[in-house]
Amino acid sequence: MHVIPILMPQLGESIAEATIIRVLIEPGAAVTAGQEIFEVETNKAVMTVTASCAGKVSEIVAKPNTSYAVGAALGSLTISAADAKSLGLNLNTAPTSSAPVTSNGSKETSNVHFQISDADSIHEHQPMVEPLVSGLPVPAGAAGAHYISPRMRARMNELGLNAADLAAVPGTGAGGRVTVEDFELFLRKLDEHRMTKASPMRIAVADSMRRSWSRPLATVGVNVVLDTMLAHRKKTNPKPGPALYVIRALALALSENTAVAGRLIGNRIVHPRAIDIGFAVEVDDGVMVPVIREVEKKPLATLVDTYNKLVEQARARRLPQDMNRPGIATVTNFGTFGIVWATPIPLPEQNLVIGLGAGRKAPHWSNEVNCFVPITEAELTLSFDHRILDGGGAGRLLARIAELLQKPEKL
Amino acid sequence: MSLTYLDAIREAQYEALRRDPNVFLYGQDIGKFGGAFKATKNLINEFPGRVIDAPISEDAMVGVAVGAAIEGARPIVEMQFADFSTCGFNQIVNQAATHYWRTNVPCPIVIRLPSGGTAGSGPFHSQSMESVYAHYPGLVIMTPATVEDAYHMLLHAVSLDDPVIFCEHKFLYYHLKADSLPDETLPLGKARIARPGVHATVVTYSAMLHECIRAAEELVVEGYQIEVVDLRSVKPLDAETILASVARTGRLLCVGESFPWGGVTAEVIARVCADGWHLLDAPPQRLNSKDTPIPYHPNLWRAHRPTAASIGTELRRLLRF
Repeated sequence: MHVIPILMPQLGESIAEATIIRVLIEPGAAVTAGQEIFEVETNKAVMTVTASCAGKVSEIVAKPNTSYAVGAALGSLTISAADAKSLGLNLNTAPTSSAPVTSNGSKETSNVHFQISDADSIHEHQPMVEPLVSGLPVPAGAAGAHYISPRMRARMNELGLNAADLAAVPGTGAGGRVTVEDFELFLRKLDEHRMTKASPMRIAVADSMRRSWSRPLATVGVNVVLDTMLAHRKKTNPKPGPALYVIRALALALSENTAVAGRLIGNRIVHPRAIDIGFAVEVDDGVMVPVIREVEKKPLATLVDTYNKLVEQARARRLPQDMNRPGIATVTNFGTFGIVWATPIPLPEQNLVIGLGAGRKAPHWSNEVNCFVPITEAELTLSFDHRILDGGGAGRLLARIAELLQKPEKL
Repeated sequence: MSLTYLDAIREAQYEALRRDPNVFLYGQDIGKFGGAFKATKNLINEFPGRVIDAPISEDAMVGVAVGAAIEGARPIVEMQFADFSTCGFNQIVNQAATHYWRTNVPCPIVIRLPSGGTAGSGPFHSQSMESVYAHYPGLVIMTPATVEDAYHMLLHAVSLDDPVIFCEHKFLYYHLKADSLPDETLPLGKARIARPGVHATVVTYSAMLHECIRAAEELVVEGYQIEVVDLRSVKPLDAETILASVARTGRLLCVGESFPWGGVTAEVIARVCADGWHLLDAPPQRLNSKDTPIPYHPNLWRAHRPTAASIGTELRRLLRF
């Protein structure tokens, strides 16, 4: 008979520890090879720790709701000499004790100053958790070009540069990181090019987009039939722009569920306080986003003047000061540029941007007249922060907007 | 004229005795025998009564010197080996180091510590004590790496009113020679750029300076220009020169022969991280002897302390970050 420890296995890449949820086997019970002994939870999934071979559970030392490092002994198993041999154990050595190593405590080590020969020391069976990096590493989790040394950071601050500006710099450092020498060489080479000054508007847009791009963004789209909306528009005076219909439909859809327009801050969804919707206006060398406040409370007809005035003010760069408070979502009518499909980027403080593509005539099968009829349709896109919203939720929001656009008289 | 590091120390003591009648030498077998390493050879004949043999008690030696210094003398105490100075530790750190601060009466003693390793000297005759003494306020710690500095810094030590721990390296005693002694020298607390460079800074002192320079020379063929800074005195520490060098290079390696736990190399890195974080393009590194007692066997001893080869390896790693 032989006693072997039951170890916390390596449950996946980058898993350093796991929490015991349940103990499935009582001490003294017999187990078969592969039988589940513990149910454990990592930060990724619930898994089980199984018996490495048949035997009898002689001891359970791990306690539920406690976290143990990979390689920690959770208990011990009494197994036959034959099994021990097939596991490659040296039968002449005494069985190892199964002192638990919890993730917050460490094993006592022998005098590290006098470990002269490896042959003299007694080796534990369980592998200790090895650090992923050693020696002179790129700091953990910061491999490659993403690691910016303190000196690089200081130099970039001095020159007013951002990490995105370095995208074109090939790194020669560890893991391809950009060293300060690479950086200075890059700067010297720039002097060979003609350079013009970027406008403050260009820099503001760049800053906004760069901050926004730090998030996992995704885009979905649906076809939306525009005929009813266009007919409604034709007989309305003053005429609302197509974007305004979408703004109003979006506001009504959001009033039914504000969470989709929320922001994720740590472990909380921060809901918007009011359904203020912005819309993109192209201006000289950039984009401005004026905001209409509390759109869900204002019928479409009352918004036309406000909308037109804001467009004018934006083009003249004379937007009122309260525009500093950003909206909760933005509508962009990229169809005016003839674009049918795009993946706009939501503003950094927003989760949603709705895009309307260029309308076009298309054949549509009509069951009523049993033949194709011409319709006007366009792509309606939604770009969103995938941390907050998934494809399903995004699709439902788009479908709801498309649905609301079919009843323009109710907007 | 050719002068060894040991000659320079003897010459400096001769000069100190000649200049100031208050100077006297005190140590075991330093009189007629001329000292364990002959650092006081013949001085008893030149200055009878002022080169005094001490009993085999470091505690008593430093105690006597402290008392004499309080009364106006300027003693130079010779330890046979730096390792043995720990027997006088109480007198050094509790009495000499604190005396001026307690009483406003200065305690101008110099304690010479023949320091560092030579092949086959083992654990009791090889240690470097500068990091231990540098921990205590009130002491000046000098670690000369050149013949010139051995001479001028020892004379400077005698002229200071503060107690000075003078760490002279035994490996350099006979190996290091200079053709002549310059009249001018850097002031106390000023580090020296021993070798200019642009790719990395190596901060070192004492015998390790020469290993570092050799490593730097070997890296020239690989296209690297390494700047080597000789601290000269580890306390006061010339952080300004170190930071200016790191500002040029962005990379720092500190090399010391003392044990790795804490100490001068750690202090240098702490200062650079605190005041020069924005200058660093790579994590600062240090290389010391191994964290074990110093082995007897010459091969083990060579593996135990930093050498040009191990410094070169460390530098390559640092340069490739």
